[in-house]
Amino acid sequence: MFTLPIMIEQAVNGLVLGSMYALVATGLTLIWGTMKMLNFAHGEFYMLGGFGTYFGLMILGLPPWLVVPIAVFLIFIIAFILEKSIISPLMGKPGWDISTVVATLGAGIFLQNFAFKFWGGDFLNVPYMFDGVLRIWGMAFAWHRLYILALTLVVIITFWQIVKRTRFGLALRATAQDNEAAILMGIPFRRIYTITFGLSASLAALAGSALAPIFSVNPWMGMVPLIKALIVVILGGLGSFTGAILGGFILGLCESFSVLFLSSGWKDLISFSLLIIILVIKPSGLFGAKEW
Amino acid sequence: MDPMPARKLLLRLRVANPATLWGTFALLALLPLLIHNDYYLNILTICLIYAALASTWNLMVGYAGILSFGHQAFYGLGAYFSAIITIHLGVSPWLGLPLGGLFAALLSLAIGIPCLRLRIAPYIAIATLAFSEILLVICKNWVSLTRGEMGLSGIPPLTSFRLGDFLTLNFGSGSKVPNYYVMLGIYILAMLAMYWLMNSKVGLALKSLREDQDAAASLGVDITRYKLIAFLISSFFAGVTGAFYAHYLSILTPESVFSVGEMVEVVAITLVGGIGTFLGPTLGAFTLIVGLELLRGLEDYRFMIYGAMLVIVVLLLPNGLLMGFHRSVTRIKGLLQFGKTK
Amino acid sequence: MLEVKDLQIYYGDAQALWDISIRVRPKEICTLVGANGAGKTTLLKAICGLVPVAAGKISLLGKDVKAVPANERVSLGLSMVPEGRKIFTGMTVEENLKIGAYVNKVWNRKEEFLGKNYDLFPRLKERRNQLGGTLSGGERQMLAIARALMSQPDLLFLDEPSLGLSPKFVDHVMEIVRSINDQGVTILLVEQNINIALGVAQRGYVLESGRIVMHDDAGALLANPHIKEAYLGM
Repeated sequence: MFTLPIMIEQAVNGLVLGSMYALVATGLTLIWGTMKMLNFAHGEFYMLGGFGTYFGLMILGLPPWLVVPIAVFLIFIIAFILEKSIISPLMGKPGWDISTVVATLGAGIFLQNFAFKFWGGDFLNVPYMFDGVLRIWGMAFAWHRLYILALTLVVIITFWQIVKRTRFGLALRATAQDNEAAILMGIPFRRIYTITFGLSASLAALAGSALAPIFSVNPWMGMVPLIKALIVVILGGLGSFTGAILGGFILGLCESFSVLFLSSGWKDLISFSLLIIILVIKPSGLFGAKEW
Repeated sequence: MDPMPARKLLLRLRVANPATLWGTFALLALLPLLIHNDYYLNILTICLIYAALASTWNLMVGYAGILSFGHQAFYGLGAYFSAIITIHLGVSPWLGLPLGGLFAALLSLAIGIPCLRLRIAPYIAIATLAFSEILLVICKNWVSLTRGEMGLSGIPPLTSFRLGDFLTLNFGSGSKVPNYYVMLGIYILAMLAMYWLMNSKVGLALKSLREDQDAAASLGVDITRYKLIAFLISSFFAGVTGAFYAHYLSILTPESVFSVGEMVEVVAITLVGGIGTFLGPTLGAFTLIVGLELLRGLEDYRFMIYGAMLVIVVLLLPNGLLMGFHRSVTRIKGLLQFGKTK
Repeated sequence: MLEVKDLQIYYGDAQALWDISIRVRPKEICTLVGANGAGKTTLLKAICGLVPVAAGKISLLGKDVKAVPANERVSLGLSMVPEGRKIFTGMTVEENLKIGAYVNKVWNRKEEFLGKNYDLFPRLKERRNQLGGTLSGGERQMLAIARALMSQPDLLFLDEPSLGLSPKFVDHVMEIVRSINDQGVTILLVEQNINIALGVAQRGYVLESGRIVMHDDAGALLANPHIKEAYLGM
């Protein structure tokens, strides 16, 4: 049962799952690091990514290479508008760390039920973007899953480059590390917030779009990824970009391997227990609540 | 530029003056006399359930400083414990209520004590959430005990008793009024316990120390003890409420008590009503649940509007309904004064 | 260069500063002194736009800036070295400097200004790839000043630059302040240490409990009996 081929297949599955957790968690940690708030509608951007992909592929019949970028872009716009109209005004007033929770909660509920109204509550199937399976050394890897891995790698590298090398990235890091000093440098922090929020939503949407063929879409599909992403963010250390990515992969691998030992109903127990253990031993997470 | 975070607001948990408190209790007690419709009485009972949950959560967050996202854990623990002992051990449901509360309070220590140590809000939020999710998983999978996702049915309602020669009080599914009063009783006890705690020595000291958690710590170990007491009162009454819920509905499923949805509801209610205020959560509960009910006519758009309303309310009244109400009253008073002096 | 008239500033619900009127002339070094808690930092922050102003006028180079958001005042030629330095500890020295040149008008020439700053602060050049968090107190002060200079300001604020530094280093900092001024930058220096402040400034304002109580040339202030008694311990 625990042969090497099976272990490797599970490892790859774990990395695929993990990469999705990593993307969603990075989005969350991006907002936390820069704006110091938790976005409770984050799962809904993931969900909209999935639904957008469904709509584009199944209803409009467009090819994947067109649907995915357009869907992600549209969700960026939606998030941008949301931030500017609702979150930005709240951030400027006292009690913002609580009012933004309510606002994002409300927005999340709205979006969930919007999806429910227009697409119903059933699980809708989305076709695989890449058919077929790669067979090597007695193991089978679905091409779509490999696409997910590749996509994640590309996104992470791109993201890293943006943060480290561009003027925007520099401004982002400055705003995250010391808001007041950043303002003194002339950085338009409100605009940075809005763009950051949009980027975060895009990451979630991309993950949702990639996973849609595997898990199908439904209006509440964003809730579990949100909880898992929260776990990853804590695991990796709040505000740590590296932590979110590595934490995501670790969680994915843990869940994937635990399926070999436990029935799937109990597998979530592992992730949550792992979380509590980390919190008790090293609350700042594996990489410490860092600044990037 | 750096707006005062709500954390600082929280430690200033306002206490209602006794008149308002008793007035509210009286008003709530009178409601069944004015509303005879069973359907609406059911809604009002549910309002009380959430008022109790939200008020106890408010106590935990604002007083004990534990930003918990797992309040539903205590709710569920009380519900399932009472349901199981009444079904399998033949214990009286009346006894199940406090026992459910005690069980919830006892188990809450497992997460409460580490959380009092953790101190950083997001970590506490996620630890408590994880605790609750773990219970959800256990509840769904320990089928021999809880019947898993099929849930428990046939939970005995509160046993009827006789009042004098004429009156027998039934608590079965048809009897909305007696059940309402039981829940009202639970709610009132919870609020009184909170009131007692906040008027105690340390409660008053905390209030005068306003915004500084660290300065408060210099008052000594006493603070931690009172925070723990607050935490336990909170989890106890959440558990009792859960037990009531089990006997009121007679059926119980893991998702109906342990899910994050319950938490979202409690958070929304508390924040809309006004976190850090004494009666805010109660106001929030009645507003949101009755409001949601009134939206029933809008069928498909109901929850969308609900979500939108949350956003609109928080944009207009970032500190909650009660504070907004306070401010309007103060402003009106100010205008009246001004009118007088002229 | 800078004119502030009848400024009223609140901190929360309580008034912190009353009737503040200050003038800073072009190319001079002006200082604002006062004890801890007198309100010096609050005033600087208000002029920079970080703290709201209840009433009064602020004009920079003849232009009314009250309505200009804080992050746009840099483009007008104002730059501040904040209290406590506030360097970006998670970024390298060079990144800290680069972000100082964020605004459009200087970003394209940042390499040039980087070079100029490295000439003025060779120590920073040595440590260009080190994280800000690894620098000593004195080095951080250098970095904060250099960073503020990157935007080529006409008016530079320095908030308590001597805080936490050894006397030798403080002299070094003041030398640098002088040389910056020689190159044409107007300076408003806020200091708790009156000796140091009046040693380098031409004119000074004294702030006590939220009000300007006197202003004069540096020499006159040093000779003033009230100053001597209250601040110089004589």
